[in-house]
Amino acid sequence: MSNILHFSEHTLQEIALVFMATVYFLRIKWFLKWTLGKERQPATGMGDTNPKKGARYSLGMIIKPWTMESTRTKPFMYAQFVLFHLGVVAAIALSFIIPYGPGLLKSAALVSAIQFMTGAAFIVGIMRIIRRISNPYMRAISSPDDHFSLILLTSWFAFASMAASNDISGGEGIMQTFFLLTAFFLMYVPFSKISHYLYYPFTRTYMGRSFGRRGVFPLRKKPAYDTV
Amino acid sequence: MNNGKDVRSYKAQKVIDRMGQKLSRQIVGSLTACVHCGMCTDSCHYVLANPGDPTYAPAYKADLIRKLFKHHYDWTGKVFPKWVKAGSVYTDQELEELKDTVFGKCTNCRRCTINCPMGVDLATFNRMARGLLCHVGIMPEGVEYVAKEQWEIGNQMGVLKEDFIGTIEWQEEELQEEMQDPTAKIPIDKMNADIVYTVNPREVKHDPRSILDAAKIFYMAGENYTMPSEGWDMTNFGLFNGDDDLGGAVAARVYDNVRELKGKKLVMSECGHGYRSTRCEGPNWAKQDIEFEAESSVITMLRYIKEGKIKVDKTKNPGSYTFHDSCNNARSCGLTEEPRELLSLVVEDFREMYPNRAENYCCTGGGGAMSMSEYKSRRLKSGKVKAEQLSATGAKVVVTSCHNCVDGLTDIIGHYNVGMGVTQLVNLVANALVVDDRISENAMKYAGEEAVTA
Repeated sequence: MSNILHFSEHTLQEIALVFMATVYFLRIKWFLKWTLGKERQPATGMGDTNPKKGARYSLGMIIKPWTMESTRTKPFMYAQFVLFHLGVVAAIALSFIIPYGPGLLKSAALVSAIQFMTGAAFIVGIMRIIRRISNPYMRAISSPDDHFSLILLTSWFAFASMAASNDISGGEGIMQTFFLLTAFFLMYVPFSKISHYLYYPFTRTYMGRSFGRRGVFPLRKKPAYDTV
Repeated sequence: MNNGKDVRSYKAQKVIDRMGQKLSRQIVGSLTACVHCGMCTDSCHYVLANPGDPTYAPAYKADLIRKLFKHHYDWTGKVFPKWVKAGSVYTDQELEELKDTVFGKCTNCRRCTINCPMGVDLATFNRMARGLLCHVGIMPEGVEYVAKEQWEIGNQMGVLKEDFIGTIEWQEEELQEEMQDPTAKIPIDKMNADIVYTVNPREVKHDPRSILDAAKIFYMAGENYTMPSEGWDMTNFGLFNGDDDLGGAVAARVYDNVRELKGKKLVMSECGHGYRSTRCEGPNWAKQDIEFEAESSVITMLRYIKEGKIKVDKTKNPGSYTFHDSCNNARSCGLTEEPRELLSLVVEDFREMYPNRAENYCCTGGGGAMSMSEYKSRRLKSGKVKAEQLSATGAKVVVTSCHNCVDGLTDIIGHYNVGMGVTQLVNLVANALVVDDRISENAMKYAGEEAVTA
């Protein structure tokens, strides 16, 4: 392994991670400085739910696609979402496994799994790019950050898939590109929409607490009453 | 006013300054978390009725507000404004354009909110944007008029106290005639009543029959209730125009009158936004906790039947009925099961509408849309979705627990020739009442008590 690849795999990643953590810390600090709106209303609804139950339900809706019409009626989109985010998990895991646990990649099954997940995410990424460009609604709501983040991640998936075998016998280009992209990704994320997962626990909890208090969450599909 | 975008109009500056005061962490979360995934797009009835026009997409509408937040309050937007679509407003014309969206292209129905995977509550910050515009006097004329009436006269239809009392006395006479009981009362300002009953000014002005129907139910239940001569309007335009000060003042007026009368419970007649405003949002706007119970009349009527205080005969309401969930009742207050349970007790043929409950579509009259005549054609066009939903039930009558929805649905039914009637639960319950020899045991007891008091 060349010095430059070693630097990319270790020092550069560590710097990028520290940078990302620092910006995230500042971002959360900034977010928490906003006053949390107080809910004074007495509980409404059927009385079989509460803020905690509502918050749990709200946080879990993303893994229960049947709870939202938007995910229930678009199973293909939901499947894309799952594959895309599994790809993110796999690529992030790979960026740690290669420098800190390369022995794990002796397992052909693990390599295949990572290649499958990042490969599938790459295909989804391409589909999402096409959708964002060709769908007039998506075009209208997209910012340069939306386009760039999607292209960045899709490219990263491609290189993650190729780098999963951790084989540099044919040259270090792919590995080098993967780690440079990873470092850039880590430093770019806090400034982009990719950091949405930072807010997810907050937004869904706040929504869930409010809707739980009001008896809206969990959403009802069937009668919750006994007719007299 | 705009000198190369470096001079901002007075109103534009005020909007930006005030935004900083109105931002809560919940709203900031919603303004920050959107990933532009587009999953909310199809949830909006405006989008469905205007295919191909992205300016109706919830995320697009949200971005018109979000760009201001990003530019002025979010440092990522300050550092890379174009990259994240941050932007500001400089002219009054730009504020007018924003008004067209936040008032004219959204009814704050919250359907996109419950369909957002990220938990972005567009309706809440759309309401905030309405409030910012109203603060500088930019709002539809109807909204301005109604808000003024509610500030100055105390109810949104400008009903004077004498007219209110006159209407109640008129309905009292009707009650006495229908019940064949000259002692039957609709009490006003009675102290220590178990229930203080508040209504929508629309009932006083255009639909006094619903006050009479409620009075018949209270009479038959032998309820110790009263209506207040002040603070009887439980509707609240603060919900629609985004003015928390108005919202707080109107809600406090209702609460204060319940306290003055030493009432034990506040009951609100069937009105979606009124219920949400008075029951749910009012305490937040007025910054006060309410120590008495507050409930929808739907729950009160249901309890009367369950406790045997009134008897109903569902054969008195022949025909087929479906139920339209008010957005404010269902999506914002969880009032979905009680109206269905009550309806199933007073009609024989109830047909569910799909989608329903929290997923129901807006009647198109939400968010104060009925008072914004400049957007009427847009509203009626968006009603296509509701009209199809109604037609699919095959029912002859649509029941709703909201006066706003009654008007919105009536418009849609007429415009699309759906051929349905619109009514409320109070009308059906009153019609289904079993009146033994015209006066029930409870009514006799009540009449006796009144006679002793007199």
